Amino acid sequence: MYRFLRHFFFPHHTNNHRAKALHPDIMLAYIFLLALFNFSFRYIHQQYPSILGYATDIRLGELLNLTNQKRTELGLSQLKLNEKLSLAAAKKAQDMFANNYWSHSSPQGKTPWEFVVSSGYEYTMAGENLAKNFSNSSGVVDAWMASPTHKDNIIKPGYRDIGFAIVNGVLNGEETTLVVQMFGASDREDVIASKPEPLSLGTTTQSPIDQLPIQLFEASSPESSKSFMHSLSSVIQTPRINIPTATRDIVFVFLGFLIAVLIIDGFVVSKHKIIRVAGHNLAHIMFFAAVCLALMLVKRGVLL
Amino acid sequence: MKRKLIPVLNFVVLAIILSSSVFLFWQVRDNKAMQTMVGILLSVLYVTWGMIHHAMQGDLYPKVVVEYLLVGCIAITLIVTIVWS
Repeated sequence: MYRFLRHFFFPHHTNNHRAKALHPDIMLAYIFLLALFNFSFRYIHQQYPSILGYATDIRLGELLNLTNQKRTELGLSQLKLNEKLSLAAAKKAQDMFANNYWSHSSPQGKTPWEFVVSSGYEYTMAGENLAKNFSNSSGVVDAWMASPTHKDNIIKPGYRDIGFAIVNGVLNGEETTLVVQMFGASDREDVIASKPEPLSLGTTTQSPIDQLPIQLFEASSPESSKSFMHSLSSVIQTPRINIPTATRDIVFVFLGFLIAVLIIDGFVVSKHKIIRVAGHNLAHIMFFAAVCLALMLVKRGVLL
Repeated sequence: MKRKLIPVLNFVVLAIILSSSVFLFWQVRDNKAMQTMVGILLSVLYVTWGMIHHAMQGDLYPKVVVEYLLVGCIAITLIVTIVWS
């Protein structure tokens, strides 16, 4: 065991004075194992999403409360949940999945305001915030508040109503949890929100069917419209293993391992003044540290 | 003096390449495809730096080239793994 560890981690005559962990064949094995890990994760996720998936808990009620909390902190009036704006948000989400775009305007040039008007909300002013791939409600609202343009919408004094849609689907080939937030103000009495109804907390969505884009919706009756909106009031997924967390853990442990081996190898070679043909350990350490830093900056949640 | 200065300058250049790439990576944080491209660019620049550095040191051997290429490939695989997870 000791010999194996020495051979693998320390430069020695048995490994030509270069830790075996840094030999080309072993480095090739790392690449192969990482690729295998990627493919197996994707396969298991497709076959068993309840075991390996994306942990998500985004609820309409929480988004509404958090948004109003931010407004209250600034002395602004609370926004009322408006069914017509929620329907507009749902239609917008539906259109994004159906036409596969991540933008405020569709590829056909359809603006958010067209969804607002087609849902029966006659606005004097309106706004839209979008978010995708966040894991919880507070993450979404915090990110919006950290972005000046999205924050402007949330704290605009003129708005009176708000609507949400939270939808799971596939956007540009990627499993996506989309949050659409619509703001509005209207002079018309019939579109001014009544007291918001309690909305369902949603169901656990774990089957592959839930990952498909939502079907085209045509409101045939107020009941079907209401049930359609209720189905888009939350996305809650609780897989046993959360893909982003597991992936990060494995990648950062591996990077730490590589940097540690390079430090040990470089230290021993420098101490014993060994002359050998190999890459520069300090350069590799700097490079992997830069990669580590860059990967720490990767965030799954995106705003628009 | 000049001989000692060149490796130091090489490492200063490497530090600039790495820090600029990380900054660029952060700038395109909302675009996965761009992040992947920046990750590949970072690796290509690093491998190129390694070739030039070792050529200047007079110890550019095939074994060294393979090592830098493999290090670059490992980095790309790690970046793709995290960005597209």
